[in-house]
Amino acid sequence: MNSVIEVASLRKSFKGRDGTSRAVLKDLDLAVGAGEFLCILGPSGCGKSTLLNVLAGLDKAYEGRACVSGGRVGYLFQEPRLLPWLTADGNLDFALASCRVPTSRWSELKSRYLAMTGLSEYRDYYPHQISGGMAQRLALVRALCVEPGILLMDEPFSGLDEITARRIRSDLLSIWEETRKTIVFVTHSAYEACFLADRILVMSGGAFRQEMRVPIARPRSYDDLAIFEFSRDVIKAFGDGIGREPVPSVIPVTEPSLVDDLDRHIAARMNI
Amino acid sequence: MLKLLSLATAVIVWGLLSLTLPPEIFPGPIETARALWGDIAGGQVGLDLAMTLLRVVAGLVLALILGVPVGIVMGLNRRAEAVLDVWVMIGLTVPSLCYAIMAFMWFGLNEGAAIIAIAVTAAPSITINIWEGVKNVDTKLVAMARVFEASRPAIVRRVLLPQIFPYVMASARFGLGIIWKITVLVELIGRPNGVGFKLFYWYQLADMRQVLAWTLLFTIIMLLIELLILKPIEQRIFAWRPQVAV
Repeated sequence: MNSVIEVASLRKSFKGRDGTSRAVLKDLDLAVGAGEFLCILGPSGCGKSTLLNVLAGLDKAYEGRACVSGGRVGYLFQEPRLLPWLTADGNLDFALASCRVPTSRWSELKSRYLAMTGLSEYRDYYPHQISGGMAQRLALVRALCVEPGILLMDEPFSGLDEITARRIRSDLLSIWEETRKTIVFVTHSAYEACFLADRILVMSGGAFRQEMRVPIARPRSYDDLAIFEFSRDVIKAFGDGIGREPVPSVIPVTEPSLVDDLDRHIAARMNI
Repeated sequence: MLKLLSLATAVIVWGLLSLTLPPEIFPGPIETARALWGDIAGGQVGLDLAMTLLRVVAGLVLALILGVPVGIVMGLNRRAEAVLDVWVMIGLTVPSLCYAIMAFMWFGLNEGAAIIAIAVTAAPSITINIWEGVKNVDTKLVAMARVFEASRPAIVRRVLLPQIFPYVMASARFGLGIIWKITVLVELIGRPNGVGFKLFYWYQLADMRQVLAWTLLFTIIMLLIELLILKPIEQRIFAWRPQVAV
């Protein structure tokens, strides 16, 4: 496999106030192939954002090797991070200018990705004039229009309402299927990971605990029961990954009722 | 509308209060306005007003030149903050009268000394404002710009300065408020013309009508500057900001 991201024995620790150092990344090894959609799944504080910052080059204080090839890196943050004094168009221009994309290509790139996300009519709007979902979609356009080879995404949809998030997730998948960019997507939602990824790496306590390939054919539908089934497996593996022993249940096991099952189904979708 | 009403109330309160003392000591609005009109018609106002405004503007520009860079450096660099913190506090504590006396003693009784005294007095307050502003800069936006490979100068110019600019604008506005008060004081002790000089002159002649007339004149001028120049500039520059409903 032709790897565009290679990480070997990556270690990083933060110094606490009392001078003790706390390891946030413990000897990570990772290889991501060109065109792969990888999800890194883990609870908050497990080090997944730190890993992404290292890959993006924002964080240079680490030990080990972290090598990213295969073109420019695009990054989608948890918040849109648009410049509030620029219009949608101005924000895209800022990114294009910063990445030194030739001016002659700007209008083509902007129109293309704005159209893909349904934002063509909002070019002259300021960030405060559009909804949170639209702002995040604009941030996605900004990340895509500089034509990155690799797209890093840090829980980009976790701040959005579920309906908006669903729509953008589908947008993202169709864009990915069209452009085949390498995507590393960090999330704490098992369901989201199962819907999006080719491969899921379960992370906790600064280390990868488990690797799972998602055996679901594309194109995928968000309501596919197979995704739910698989997300259940992932969560199960994830629970063991944390290292907690399963607590023996004293309550006699009953047949799961329909309502119970439905609740869990919903809970899984709502990132719980 | 509410503003006009409030202004009218202020004038009425002034009129009512002035009735409690003899008019030579506390003239009312009508008498003051009449005295002011007499001065304007007599052509004695122009030079003094122009000189004062010149000192105010020159002082403000110099104060911004001194205060803004120091504030930015203090906001960006922790070591600079630790070193300059005390300086700013000292600068802020020394009374403006001391600066004025020192400037006139060291540089002579001239225009340059007056403007230096004005600027040095106002600069520390401007520095503090900018310093706070730079500390409030959204570093998440800086990280975003770095991800998009923006160069350092581009980050400063397109991400940091637009965030600092509102604070520069605010310090210019409130700096103006401080500066015109210092200017009048500086003129009183060391200049042969200007509004401050005139105020002191009429005070020595115990002519309260003229003292209030000059005060009124300058208040009107400053209000006009605020309403006709600074507010529109601010509104144009910050058109992107969401309107806050009050």
